[in-house]
Amino acid sequence: MARLGAGIGLRARHYADFMGGTRPAAGWLEAHSENYFAAGGRERAVLESLRRDYPLSLHGVGLGLGSAEGYSGRHEDKLAALVQWVEPAFVSEHLCWGAAAGRHFNDLLPLPYTHEALDLVAGRVARLQDRLARRVLVENVSCYLEPGPGEMSEGEFLAALARRSGCGLLLDVNNLYVNQANLGRDALAQMRALEPESVCEIHLAGYFAGEHCLVDTHGARVADDVWQLYEAALGLFGPVATLIEWDTDVPPLEVLLDEAAKAQTRLHALHALAA
Amino acid sequence: MPSLLEQQRAFATALLDAASGPPRMQVYRANTFGNWSAALGGAYPVVRAIVGAEFFEMLARNYARASPSTSGNLHDYGEQLAQFLEGYAQTQDLPYLPDVARLEWLAHRAYYAADALPFDFSRPTQARLAPACALLESAWPLLRIWEAHQEGGDPASVDLGAGPDRVLVHRPRWHVEVCTLRPGDYRFLERLQAGAPLGPALEAAVAADGAFVPRVAFAAWVQAGVITQ
Repeated sequence: MARLGAGIGLRARHYADFMGGTRPAAGWLEAHSENYFAAGGRERAVLESLRRDYPLSLHGVGLGLGSAEGYSGRHEDKLAALVQWVEPAFVSEHLCWGAAAGRHFNDLLPLPYTHEALDLVAGRVARLQDRLARRVLVENVSCYLEPGPGEMSEGEFLAALARRSGCGLLLDVNNLYVNQANLGRDALAQMRALEPESVCEIHLAGYFAGEHCLVDTHGARVADDVWQLYEAALGLFGPVATLIEWDTDVPPLEVLLDEAAKAQTRLHALHALAA
Repeated sequence: MPSLLEQQRAFATALLDAASGPPRMQVYRANTFGNWSAALGGAYPVVRAIVGAEFFEMLARNYARASPSTSGNLHDYGEQLAQFLEGYAQTQDLPYLPDVARLEWLAHRAYYAADALPFDFSRPTQARLAPACALLESAWPLLRIWEAHQEGGDPASVDLGAGPDRVLVHRPRWHVEVCTLRPGDYRFLERLQAGAPLGPALEAAVAADGAFVPRVAFAAWVQAGVITQ
């Protein structure tokens, strides 16, 4: 899937740009799975139209692979039906938990990097892949707190998860940067712990410098330091399909396409080097 | 070391309790309550407009604590708001608010409902309501309240004493619409929704409303896409 190049996240604000007659020049699109769980209506009609003209990725935000309780088979059913319909290039989920004590938190909550958590997530991912009959990508999340004592580093956990479940990794370079700033986790060291072949997609986004820590708002252009880290990632993993995400104060489509072009330039440079 | 389950339950408690946890727990708290509040405001724009943005934020926080999210899909969030408002002391001076919330939840679900199949005239007895359609009866002038809070509407124009309303929520294509029904049409569609065959549903409508003309009404609702297969 390296040929996918740079893409952007599909957001409702840009539906009019995509459905206005001419198709914007985006390499590929990533849609949040849950937004298309509905049986019908406009969202599904938009996706039905776009899937004919763009490679698509389905990116889940609510499954919570690491929830010790409250993991929803119904949510998985809906995802499976959506994947069957869309036939996307990628299916991805987050390395996080989301439910506890009879309540869903609708957020990407941090997991401790323990053997217990690894057993739970690796088992869930393996079963999900069996069910979907395809490889799933799992994404590292941004963290604001250490959720508990760990038994391995974030990179070691991701590498072990990929090895044990056979899943691919969706490496969010901005999240690595945020975690380095917030929790002192060396971003380069986390990347070096990964098997290069396991990294199938990269996410880039902008963060917000909050009072107590960096916050992964997806509400700004990609920071210079994160571009540098991205270049290091491409050096390690090759020209991996890359996606620009924007979720807070979503700007006009041109801004996202401009960010994607910056990623594409770096991907091209790598191709030229390899040629 | 505590188990993963114990850790997550402890994290959940600290997240919900504004007085506990380290300062950075506030980032998770803000994200989570922000997501819930945005989802609730997205599903209930008229309730939000009636009570005002600032009050709605507080209402959303209170609702979130009282009525846990049970789905990883935020589009499912907020179903219990009407019920919550029934018992919410601070909005008892707005007795029509729960019905407005009921209407908005039906509209929210209608937006995501399955697309309607065209009516099959070769099997007219299998008539039923399109998946997006829903009916609601209220002691308040619901349609007027709804319309006054749509874009270009005038909230000051609503006469709350205008009497009861029976409304239909439907989605002709992608856009959700609300309209007021006459007694016969309400009875007819309500019977179909309850699973009654076409004949008895039409008879019930005639009994409820002398002005109801079965053939005209049936054709009109098929034409509007409200009656489907």
